[in-house]
Amino acid sequence: MIEKREIEKLAFLSRIRLDNKDAKEIREDLESILGYVQKLKNVNTEDVEPLFHFPELKNVVREDKPCTVNRETQKEMMRMGKDKDDYLKVESIL
Amino acid sequence: MNQYCNKNMVATTIKETQEKLRKGEISYKELLSGFLSRIKERNEETNALLSVMEKQSEKIKNVSSELPLYGAVFAIKDNILIKGESCTAGSKLLEHYRAPFDATVIEKIRRNGGVFIGKANMDEFAMGSSSENSAFGEIRNPYDLEKVPGGSSGGCAVAVKDGMCNAALGSDTGGSIRQPAAFCGVVGFKPTYGTVSRYGVISMASSFDQVGPFANSVEDAQLIFETIRGKDEKDSVTSNFEKKEAPKSIKVGIPEEYFVEGMEKEVEDAIKEAISKIEKNDIEVVNVNLPHTEYALPAYEIIMASEVSANMARYDGIRYGLEFDRPAAKSIEEAYLKNRGGGFGKEARRRIILGTYTLSAGYYDAYYIKAQKVRNLIASDFSDAFKKVDVILAPATPTLPFNIGEKVEDPLSMHLSDIFTVTSNLAGLPALSIPCGERKGLPVGMQVIGDRFNEDILFHVSKKLEKIWKK
Repeated sequence: MIEKREIEKLAFLSRIRLDNKDAKEIREDLESILGYVQKLKNVNTEDVEPLFHFPELKNVVREDKPCTVNRETQKEMMRMGKDKDDYLKVESIL
Repeated sequence: MNQYCNKNMVATTIKETQEKLRKGEISYKELLSGFLSRIKERNEETNALLSVMEKQSEKIKNVSSELPLYGAVFAIKDNILIKGESCTAGSKLLEHYRAPFDATVIEKIRRNGGVFIGKANMDEFAMGSSSENSAFGEIRNPYDLEKVPGGSSGGCAVAVKDGMCNAALGSDTGGSIRQPAAFCGVVGFKPTYGTVSRYGVISMASSFDQVGPFANSVEDAQLIFETIRGKDEKDSVTSNFEKKEAPKSIKVGIPEEYFVEGMEKEVEDAIKEAISKIEKNDIEVVNVNLPHTEYALPAYEIIMASEVSANMARYDGIRYGLEFDRPAAKSIEEAYLKNRGGGFGKEARRRIILGTYTLSAGYYDAYYIKAQKVRNLIASDFSDAFKKVDVILAPATPTLPFNIGEKVEDPLSMHLSDIFTVTSNLAGLPALSIPCGERKGLPVGMQVIGDRFNEDILFHVSKKLEKIWKK
């Protein structure tokens, strides 16, 4: 059982605003899916390692250095937001 | 077969198109205008394409006949970036987004002579099994317009089947290429995890996502795969692999765990008939066991939702996405809540919230870690089976294409559509869906699953099987 309060907390953590009807529906859906996945409890996973990724795939890293974006790409990106001179204007975050 | 299917079509396969072009039976211009007129005729009904690149197509006069993808005309799932084109991922949040660069797969197709004709409709952020979750309207199956085409790459499957193009690129996280391919009677291929670059592809669940082709033949699917595969510095998990020799005699495995309750009788019947046909063709058929199969979908649900909740964090109305009621937001938190609450559709919200739950302190070990351990057992099941057989055959879907609206209110029953496809994503395996028969006038797809990086053997066997089932 998922409490109503828990759904509200999860929605806030997910930064998704839900109205009462949505919250009720999502709670029911989550209960049904979580009920279904309970069967994993029947699997013996003692001494089994989690498989987060495949062993032969290795992460690649490169030097972190600034690069310039060509003018055309920059213009394309600017079209998506409100711009001010050469900057994109967004909501203040801090 | 629907009366519209295969009517007025320019050509069905890329190989056939190339032949016609080389013989001068059609010109490049006629090829493209043929597809464009087909789109005009049909797209309103099926809603397969979200945008048509008409002007760009008209500029293409000819392509070098030396190039491998000469004559290939693509629909591209709308979560893959083509420079200058819109890329919505089926979401209201990205309605006005335009791609500032080409995805690696797009660059490779261009370089090899392929051209693009449109962006294909899809479930929002590739979350869905029916193509009913697009913010831009549901897609309809060309076999029967009242049926779903499968999802999430439904638009790609429909466009290829309906003659709007002769190839498409989609993405597959839990079956999103193979399941719509099965529902629409075309070939769909999900490559081994790590063979095809995802640079420029909108992420859903990063440890599963792979890009792959839709085509009208196995040969075409292989041709496309050969041009898009390979290591890319921009996708850290990609690697190259060596060519493998095809075996002299072929052994296919049938996992009995895939023939369980819940499968529609018509599908089971068609699958068994298709298997009995190959037994008569000097292909050895043996039983194999994949004992953890029933735990695949629950493990997938948890890992997928967890990765989704992380990947969707970027759509906050600031880095990406729409801004709703901007002046009314009093704080940044409120802006996030509004932008995301108003922007994401129902299925996306459901998965994000589920993933937030399974990753929460206190539930992380019980759900997320447990699922990743079960994933390891599922991968081991397959490794053991591939010691005995070259490929594994399994149904692609448990049902025939279902009615539009039938499952939208019941997410669990919708997710069960992917019960046979998620296993390959969990284990990172390559898998094809090939049409293997019809029931009630609707197509049935067979999955051919190979061992990791064994694409050469998978295609070798699949071409033989396709020939048998086409007869």
